[in-house]
Amino acid sequence: MIAFGTSITRPEVFRQAAEPGIRRAAEPDSEVITVEAPGSIFHSYNVLMERAAARDDLEALVLLHQDAEIVDADFCAKVRQALSDPDVGVVGCVGAVGVRSIAWWEGSVALASFVHRYEEHGGGDLTAFSWAWEDAPPYARTGEVDTLDGFLLALSPWVVRNVRFDESLGMLHGYDFDFCLQVREAGKKVMTADFRAIHHHSLDLVSDPETWIEAHMRIAEKWDGRMPGVGTGAGTWEERARRAEAERDAARADAYTKRLECDGRIAELERARAEAVNSISWRMTAPLRLISRARAGAR
Amino acid sequence: MIAFACPVMDTESYRRYAEPGIRLAAEPESELFALAATGGLARSYNLLLEQTAGHEELEALVLVHPHAEITDPDFCRKVREALEDPGVGVVGAIGATGVRNIAWWEGEVRAGHVRHRYTDFGGGELEAFSWTQPQPAPGEVECVDGLLLVLSPEVARSIRFDESLPLGHGVDFDFCVQVRAAGYRVAVADFHLTQHRALELLEDDSLWVEAHIRLGKKWEGRMPGVPKEDVDWKTRARRAEAERESARAFAHANLLGADARVLAAERALEEVTSTASWRATGPLRWLNKLRAERRSRAAS
Repeated sequence: MIAFGTSITRPEVFRQAAEPGIRRAAEPDSEVITVEAPGSIFHSYNVLMERAAARDDLEALVLLHQDAEIVDADFCAKVRQALSDPDVGVVGCVGAVGVRSIAWWEGSVALASFVHRYEEHGGGDLTAFSWAWEDAPPYARTGEVDTLDGFLLALSPWVVRNVRFDESLGMLHGYDFDFCLQVREAGKKVMTADFRAIHHHSLDLVSDPETWIEAHMRIAEKWDGRMPGVGTGAGTWEERARRAEAERDAARADAYTKRLECDGRIAELERARAEAVNSISWRMTAPLRLISRARAGAR
Repeated sequence: MIAFACPVMDTESYRRYAEPGIRLAAEPESELFALAATGGLARSYNLLLEQTAGHEELEALVLVHPHAEITDPDFCRKVREALEDPGVGVVGAIGATGVRNIAWWEGEVRAGHVRHRYTDFGGGELEAFSWTQPQPAPGEVECVDGLLLVLSPEVARSIRFDESLPLGHGVDFDFCVQVRAAGYRVAVADFHLTQHRALELLEDDSLWVEAHIRLGKKWEGRMPGVPKEDVDWKTRARRAEAERESARAFAHANLLGADARVLAAERALEEVTSTASWRATGPLRWLNKLRAERRSRAAS
């Protein structure tokens, strides 16, 4: 039996995103476990795991965010196939290698089979690079990775019964990275598989930078010396501090540049639109559009 | 006498931006020193200081970046007013307090009327460093932007730019720290100025990062007004590495937000240009454009 588990803080989001996806993917005997908890995702996911672990017939536990919508009808078959290797502990559809911190996207992303659906600015979809295989870049592949994006994770029964999210690390940030490190430290593999999802999410990637920074530091400290590449870096602490401070300020400058360039492009588009709607031809043909709209309304 | 000096990196920029601004601002007795840029920005500025600082009647030396255009006919009066206090060594058009490194805009920014004119995306104009929501000038700051540096005669004669900095990144920050370390104050005045440059804030990230590191080392524990403290480098490194990743995530998010905003504006334009009436009247607009071009050619 493949179980689905979600921690719900906003029921309307769950109803619009996760629930239809679960309905699409689940099998008749699947159990859907939810926990309504506004607190730590580390804790909520542990509660879900405890409940799933009690099922003798558990084949996998799928942990998904309330805003994650699975789109594959044959999702369960893909999960079963991915977990058929007993060495595989956790599977996802977005993952990276060479990851050194909770900013897993700064590693080399190997698979990103999702659509980021946002509501800001009239709404839209941002399609990640391996959503459609025919458009995917040459580095897109399924297979073993260092870590997965936690918005959709399928856990093997062994992991469900033997690994827990580390509740000492905070409320939200880095839970997925730390969990994948624990799974790997326990000798199991972290893998990507060929299933897809829609992530209904705002465009804001780090909503609370200070807690994110705290989690980054805590997790770097926890894994320094335990997992190659994590928490370590070239040079002395002073050299690392100086370089990181410089790169931090360069990254901030890059963000300001992007904002300015966006403002510049929008001003250009608005000028073009203003020129169009102020042109004689546009004003001359206004009655035609009025009639056209009236006809459409009548129909 | 208020002297103006500009290192000419490319003649066209100088002719278009710096020179008209200097002509607007200068007084009849003002002297203008325009020298071909040599070496880096610091070397060129030092050369200009050597050429001008010895002038006995010097009231102030105005170092104008070639891409800066002074748009203030009242400029010289404001210079004299700002340098009335002998404790002031450098005056600029935009600067900040709470500055700890070459990213001076991360401090609390104060500015005169500084505009940013760009040619990207069909061109346009913005308030310079608009995202920092600058406080109005005048006021004391810790560092000013090197776009425009007004130096008191004492500073022009006694302090020099650090020529060891790669490609001149951070020379303005370093110069202001030197000035403050020498006991002078740094201020911004309500100058009117336009900077002509691309929207991109940093043209070469990697060199800028090296300059940041070098100046961090140079001034560690010696920054005027910053109490010296024992540094726990490990904690500082951990925090900086986390803040760097957070800043990168913020930049990614900005890019996503920018894409979404641009998409919305493109949709709004398409709503007009995809209508049947717009398409049907295309030939009229084409004829109109042709006629306008002919008229313009005939006129020239």
